Amino acid sequence: MGYKKKNRHVGIVGVGETKFSSHREDVNQAEMIHEAVRQALDDANLTMDDVDCVVHGNMELFEMIHQPDLWHTLGSGAYGKDAFRLTTGGTTGGTLACAGDNLAASGMYDVVMAIGFEKLQEGHTTGGITNMADPLWARKLQSGALTDSAAVKLIEEFGAERARRAAMTYRIIMDKHACLNPNSHRAFGLDWDQMDDLMENSPPLIGDLRLIHMCSQSDGACVVIYASEEKAKQITDTPVWVRDHITVHREETLDLCNNYYPTDTTHRFAAEKLYERNGITNPLEYFDVFEMYDPSAWWGTDWLKEFFLLEDDDHLKLVENKEIMIDGKMPINPSGGVIAANPIGATALVRVAEAAKQIRGNAGPHQIQKPVNHALASAFGGTMWTVLTMLEKELNW
Amino acid sequence: MSTQSPDSFVIDGKLALPYQYFAGRTGSRFLTSIRDEKKIKGLKCEKCNKVFVPPRQTCERCFEDISENWVELENAGTVTGFTIIRYEEPHQPFKPPYILAQIKLDGADTSLTHIVKGVALSQMKTGIRVQAKFAKNSTSTIMDIDHFRPIKPKFELGYSYDELEIGMSASFTKTITESDVYQFAGISGDFNPMHLNEEFAKMTPFGTRIAHGALPQSLIAPVLGMKLPGLGTVIPEITVRFRKPTYFGDTVTATAEVVEFIEARRWVKLELTWTNQRDELVAEGHAIAIPPTPMG
Ligand SMILES: [Zn+2]
Repeated sequence: MGYKKKNRHVGIVGVGETKFSSHREDVNQAEMIHEAVRQALDDANLTMDDVDCVVHGNMELFEMIHQPDLWHTLGSGAYGKDAFRLTTGGTTGGTLACAGDNLAASGMYDVVMAIGFEKLQEGHTTGGITNMADPLWARKLQSGALTDSAAVKLIEEFGAERARRAAMTYRIIMDKHACLNPNSHRAFGLDWDQMDDLMENSPPLIGDLRLIHMCSQSDGACVVIYASEEKAKQITDTPVWVRDHITVHREETLDLCNNYYPTDTTHRFAAEKLYERNGITNPLEYFDVFEMYDPSAWWGTDWLKEFFLLEDDDHLKLVENKEIMIDGKMPINPSGGVIAANPIGATALVRVAEAAKQIRGNAGPHQIQKPVNHALASAFGGTMWTVLTMLEKELNW
Repeated sequence: MSTQSPDSFVIDGKLALPYQYFAGRTGSRFLTSIRDEKKIKGLKCEKCNKVFVPPRQTCERCFEDISENWVELENAGTVTGFTIIRYEEPHQPFKPPYILAQIKLDGADTSLTHIVKGVALSQMKTGIRVQAKFAKNSTSTIMDIDHFRPIKPKFELGYSYDELEIGMSASFTKTITESDVYQFAGISGDFNPMHLNEEFAKMTPFGTRIAHGALPQSLIAPVLGMKLPGLGTVIPEITVRFRKPTYFGDTVTATAEVVEFIEARRWVKLELTWTNQRDELVAEGHAIAIPPTPMG
């Protein structure tokens, strides 16, 4: 691996998120982005003049417009500035976070603004995703973003009853978190007595993946402002330090024939490498919060095992014992996660923004009450693509 | 699968890409005033002193929220750039060729992209003044402005000084009849028997009646006043030397050609010739012309 230590430290100095919803007819794309840009600038107490570089990201084909960053200059503030566009699918927000960190660490820019957005209501997500596959070998076989692979795996491992119950427990916990977060797109107010009904009666999508398990299509934008150590300390008393990030992409692990991952998942591979080079031996003990890119309750449940390098049924126990709740041992997605809102190009950046807010202690009604010093955020893309970002309260590693 | 080549298959694909685009509240208000009031409005940033059209909620220069600062614009503007679309593809609004132009409306600081009609493709140029023509049926899109077309001047005019070139020429031809001569005698009061009395005329060197010299000469008037320089021209000077008589039934051609620019006064000098159907030079001379000045 060509990994080297960063040139200089980088801190998050401002975050902005729109309210997420299914429809934003009242604003066009640039105007929606502008809401998050303005919020992040206000949060950092900066003006656009203080920003050196703008990185813009979304799933290019999802709104069916080309070169969206050029359209969005009217709202993004990129006029006359150095700017980049990223479009790495579901991981776009994670890649934006990497780019913000790298560009500020490089020394080329002191203050970098990362913008993730999606207006899925305007486009045709499945049309965009279908276009991702090889026209000859795979396009006619695609099922879009829906798969029950994680359900098949968990049911085979732990039996249908336990697996289904764990996934629904995960789902209800996420909804309870979503109900605390005023930005949530979907917050139903689910409760434990609805468990059996939902497991039985939520409309099935594919196999054991039901509508209630699955994330939404959302409109919304998220902005995170990164600054070099020196600048970050000038800008705010509460910078959140980006300790490290890692990107792993390995498409062939998605085995269409038997629904199994033949080797380590990219999640586990990324987590192992990240912890190893940062000297973290027990991630479950180390981190105080994990904002996970969890496209469905099945995936969220299954992936806990990968991200925390767990064995056997430890991940199921975390869910079953409700240790992943906001006041639990390892709070997962106090924001409600991706099932609560999924504006794809923003989604993974929202994970980073939410993790940063938890460390600052001003996340709002869904703030974890215990002190948060170490946070992890993940991104996921449909072709087995993982991005992990580690955030710290103190600059002491 | 196309199998034109026996060993290399090619997939023909087609994807449907349906989408919506949310105009937003600000964009929708812009469209509503075009649709309902036939008014094009922009949003003004007071801080930057700029008027944006199409409108935008935020000034992208200074980040001020300008979404309530509507200003009414003229429905006329100046073409700042254009292209002629000549290739045909299914997404176009019209069958090519057509003109796509950037139009800076009076009162705006940015240009609006739209269609220009009513001007010959070869004559299209940057700087022309155009006016919005609104659509009969609304689609609540920017096509509620159907197109822009050139603003016609109130009066048509001939060539201006700047449009004239050395060598430009024009002419007028007419057959001179007995009736013309009698009417000219009446107009001028010149009842000289050379023009009116055949028996008298037989005793003259010409042996028959001839037209008044000023009659063929006057055929240069429609050339100068209506063709070159044309409508709106003033002629402060004409000199003529008569070379041959004009007999009844002769067909006379009066021709003017630009030969010189009088730069100091922005006038032009034209060489004049009159010829008949026998290619004889009837008269020659020159004129000084004050070409029309473009109005407005
Ligand atoms: Zn301004």
